[in-house]
Amino acid sequence: MTGVELGMTAQVVLAAAAVAAAVLVPPRLRNVVAGTFAAAVGASGVVTGAAALTDHSGSLELSTALPLTGVALDPTPLGGFVMLVAGAVGAVAAVFAIGYAHGPAASRTSWVALPAFLVSMQLVPAAADAVSFLLMWELMALASTVLVLTEHRDREEVRSAALWYAAMTHLSFGLLLLGFTVLAAEGGGTGFDAMSAVDPKSLQASIAFVLLIAGFATKAGAVPFHVWLPRAHPAAPSHVSAVMSAAMVKMGVYGALLVAFRLLPDGPAWWGFVVVALGAVSATYGILQASVTSDLKRLLAYSTTENIGLMFLALGTAMLLRSHDVSAPADAALVACLLLLTSHAAFKTALFLGAGAVLHATGERDLDRMGGLAARMPVTHVAFALGALGAAALPLSVGFVAEWTLLQSLIHGARPDDRLVAAMMPISVAVVALTAGLALLTFVKAYGIAFLARPRSSGAAGAREATPGMRAAMLVAAVAVIGLGLVPGPLADLAGRAAGVADPGSGAAVDLPGIAGGVLDPVAVTVVAALLAAPVGVVTLAAARRRRRRRVDLAWGCGGARISPRMQYTATSYAEPLARVFDDAVRPERDVVVTHYSESRYLVERVQFRQRLDEVVETRLYQPVLRAGDRVGAAARRLQNGSIHRYLGYSFVALVAVLVVVAL
Amino acid sequence: MSAGAAVVTVGQAAVLVALSPLLVGVMRQVRARLEGRAGAGVLQPWRDLRKLLGKEPLTADGVSWISVAGPLVLVASSLLLCALTPVLGTATLDRVPNDLFVVVAALLIGTVALALVGLDAGTAFGGMGSSRHMTIAALVEPTVLVSVYALSIPVGSSVLSQIVEARLDHPATIWSPVSLLALLGLAIAIVAETARLPIDNPSTHLEVTMVHEAMVLESSGRDLAWLELGSWLRLGALLGLLATLLAPWGVATEVTALGLAVAVGALALKLALIGSLLATVEVFLAKVRLFRVPELLAGSFVLAFLAVTASYLVAS
Amino acid sequence: MASETFAQLVGLSTGVLLLSGVLLVWRRSLHAQVALLATQGVALAVLVLVLGLHESDAELLAVAALVLVLKAVVLPLILVRTVARLGVGVREETPVINTTASLIALSMLTMLAYLVSRPLLTLGDGPTTTAVPVGIALVLYGMLLLATRRHAVSQLLGFLVLDNGIATVAFLIAGGVPLVVELGVSLDVLLVVLILQVLTSRIRTEFGEADLDDLSELRD
Repeated sequence: MTGVELGMTAQVVLAAAAVAAAVLVPPRLRNVVAGTFAAAVGASGVVTGAAALTDHSGSLELSTALPLTGVALDPTPLGGFVMLVAGAVGAVAAVFAIGYAHGPAASRTSWVALPAFLVSMQLVPAAADAVSFLLMWELMALASTVLVLTEHRDREEVRSAALWYAAMTHLSFGLLLLGFTVLAAEGGGTGFDAMSAVDPKSLQASIAFVLLIAGFATKAGAVPFHVWLPRAHPAAPSHVSAVMSAAMVKMGVYGALLVAFRLLPDGPAWWGFVVVALGAVSATYGILQASVTSDLKRLLAYSTTENIGLMFLALGTAMLLRSHDVSAPADAALVACLLLLTSHAAFKTALFLGAGAVLHATGERDLDRMGGLAARMPVTHVAFALGALGAAALPLSVGFVAEWTLLQSLIHGARPDDRLVAAMMPISVAVVALTAGLALLTFVKAYGIAFLARPRSSGAAGAREATPGMRAAMLVAAVAVIGLGLVPGPLADLAGRAAGVADPGSGAAVDLPGIAGGVLDPVAVTVVAALLAAPVGVVTLAAARRRRRRRVDLAWGCGGARISPRMQYTATSYAEPLARVFDDAVRPERDVVVTHYSESRYLVERVQFRQRLDEVVETRLYQPVLRAGDRVGAAARRLQNGSIHRYLGYSFVALVAVLVVVAL
Repeated sequence: MSAGAAVVTVGQAAVLVALSPLLVGVMRQVRARLEGRAGAGVLQPWRDLRKLLGKEPLTADGVSWISVAGPLVLVASSLLLCALTPVLGTATLDRVPNDLFVVVAALLIGTVALALVGLDAGTAFGGMGSSRHMTIAALVEPTVLVSVYALSIPVGSSVLSQIVEARLDHPATIWSPVSLLALLGLAIAIVAETARLPIDNPSTHLEVTMVHEAMVLESSGRDLAWLELGSWLRLGALLGLLATLLAPWGVATEVTALGLAVAVGALALKLALIGSLLATVEVFLAKVRLFRVPELLAGSFVLAFLAVTASYLVAS
Repeated sequence: MASETFAQLVGLSTGVLLLSGVLLVWRRSLHAQVALLATQGVALAVLVLVLGLHESDAELLAVAALVLVLKAVVLPLILVRTVARLGVGVREETPVINTTASLIALSMLTMLAYLVSRPLLTLGDGPTTTAVPVGIALVLYGMLLLATRRHAVSQLLGFLVLDNGIATVAFLIAGGVPLVVELGVSLDVLLVVLILQVLTSRIRTEFGEADLDDLSELRD
């Protein structure tokens, strides 16, 4: 038995143990025991993924699982990479859940669903044929739906969110089923190897490609299939949001990679354009919505759409450049896609867990009611700050390394002979740059408003630091953001191995082969910066010895007395200029009611400000479709009026109709 | 090579530290003279700095470590930016090429540090300045990347030193439409990034119109000194970069004592010229409304984008 | 003329053509726009002059003179008079789409012009053919101005930019237009401008403004 086989068996066994523990252990110990087993499921995913990456051998056949065909698990290096990332996220989130889960999230159902979710998610990238893939996919969808529903008794919106999620995730399943069916019919088998024999230039291949990419984009949360993300993430418990956002949506990206590079490689050029366009629209739209929203978890959900967009952009660029034989930048784009995937997994785990800790401590999800948490929750603050550093793609974080690699591939892919491709590159650079700029604003807002300044509500003022287990989980994710950002070489090497690209890492640094000046050594940059800044530190220390810092009570309020915390900028006001600039895209609905004193209309008694941000995609695309569906449903109801005679009449008419058809 | 590169890297930071306050002094003096005032003299920024460093810093209750660390981060990132801008020589350290994206990232770290300092104070003005600052920074980013992208296409590299070297080798390319359009776009972006007129008025005293000044309202003593020095360094490095791209002569391709001395002299001259020019133009400009700023930035983006298009035209 | 100087001059004049087109969309003051149109006329004349000198074609030189007189002097003067009659500091107040959006649209249109001119570029390899996209871009800019501006004079400007674009493409591709044809076209344009100018002042006297949206009240 090889390491891979052992690892996959261990995952299944551990998941079964976790389910058993959740059912059998008394509630008092349930969190600890079930959580430990769930974390072990994640950890075994990491080990298996690493084994599949280093020496690809070993497969698992569970012939009894399905009546028709067995479940075939045989992870490729790429699958191993994704499994590794998903397992790591799952393990960290499960540890966090031990301290975090309470109320319905600590129930038996929840603890049964979590390991099932983790194991099915980790085995999706191991599937070697379409049937096992879809089986795992559906298990993952069902388990996650149960988890989204966790708090349905306490909060009304959870039910509607779960409904949206279930509908969209099954749309995804349906599209994938159709796509794989087309491929299986053409290729003569459900195995991925059989499917890859299909001629990618054929019409059937294109149909399958469109269906599959749409299905995977739905799961990944790319625009316009993203509507479930901003609903499901705020509804689910935070550790579940973390796994869904940091790991589950990546299965969509993995699926796209599977289609573009294993099942149907070297497809027509327009496939690449479709994927790039999908990515560019998702990235811009996602970050724009994230920048104007003030619900912390909703903000993080939209930021997921943005990052998925960047991954699709990188993937599409790789496809385009590969079809024009610009191999070095194409390889760099592929590596960038996997780096983006990993970096997003790391920082989004830190951010969602941080948001969970804040929610736990303050009872608030609304940024407008937070503030001053840095002093009250120091560890959460550090973890969230490092996560935000990654999300804003600033140096020292792995987010920067990923975005840098993507930009390198775009800039060096400038000159293929095809002008359409040449035209795409500067547009992509502009999209990435705008996204990066807006992400900066978004996360300065999220971090600055929530953690700095003074508390804006009593909940925020009375916040307490999270439990040690939660802190440890958050710190692990945050350290991953920084550690992988400082020493990205090994990660780049792993990504290169997964993508089948000659090693893009050299020692601690990233060194993209075939790209002039494509060296990024964060440690060296940090050392240079530290040496340069050393005199500043010396001067500061000297000055500090002579003149000590003094605390004063008063901040500047135009000469006024101590100002109230309500005078601070909130998240909504922070994003107001931006909402105004992108008025046409975000369509804010503002409502200002000014009440005057009855004595004089020059004196204002109070001002009420309300702002609502409607989802443009939802109001323009989904609501018309849903309304049409409602109308059809209402019309169909007229067929039923409860009269038994009418139902018998229908049967009679149907029988006659069949006979008439047969007779003709 | 490596020793020479280290000398150039450290030298660039040191020379810009010396020159940037003087640059600000020159700009203020030119402006004062043109407006019929006597002016405080070119050395005033240095005197301000010395005074501020000797003063006691005050911090309001309830602020976090950001108010103390932010100014230091800003000045450190500005120093890195200066060191990576090829204003003196084109030699770079092997492991730290002055790649465009690393340079921009150094700039952005400073931007974020400043914005967080503004938010940390917990006042209405700080938040307002920070919000405007970040909005502008977000919209500037596409112009910066696309314009340097246009400059990098003929060279085939995004390393600034190589771009400058290529311009030294083929001076004709400086006057090509590609280069001029890209530099024009970049110039507007730099004006926005360093909070000069017409985006922001550096000498305003009215809180509601402030962008940069609103963020530093709560800082005092050495905190304020570092914030000011950091912002000046950014101005010096970015104007130096623009001047170097426009007139690369004097930049040393080989590291020799004489070459570096010439380079320092040339840099001082270029900075003085471009600073005076900018100050002169500013006299005739009024601050535009905040919500007209996107128009200006969209315009600069179009110029940069046209530069990319034009570079394809010229090449094909 | 040396071929390198020729290429540089063609590049320079087409560059000015394009840049003035961008600025025409960017600026909203009508005075500035007319000045930019005159600049564009000069650049077009220079382009024709350069082509004439390169091919030593006396007829093209005459066309250059004609273009200079008409597009850089006469038409702008007519427009200046119209604008002057409208009052001081007239601007295009409310374009149909805002300036930021038009500017973004502009960059996309330029890319489009560059992409659609691919087949034309196979015709030749000289500096003249590679500059063809500039002419097409100008045509698109003119259309954009026509479609998004409300002021009557802005419409006129859009029309003239469109015409400049067509002329640019014609000169660059055909290596020049016969004098007679150019003369005819020029007279046509002059006539159109004069008619529109009269129309503008009529609209103004009728409605007190020169906003073309007011014309929609004339239906039925």
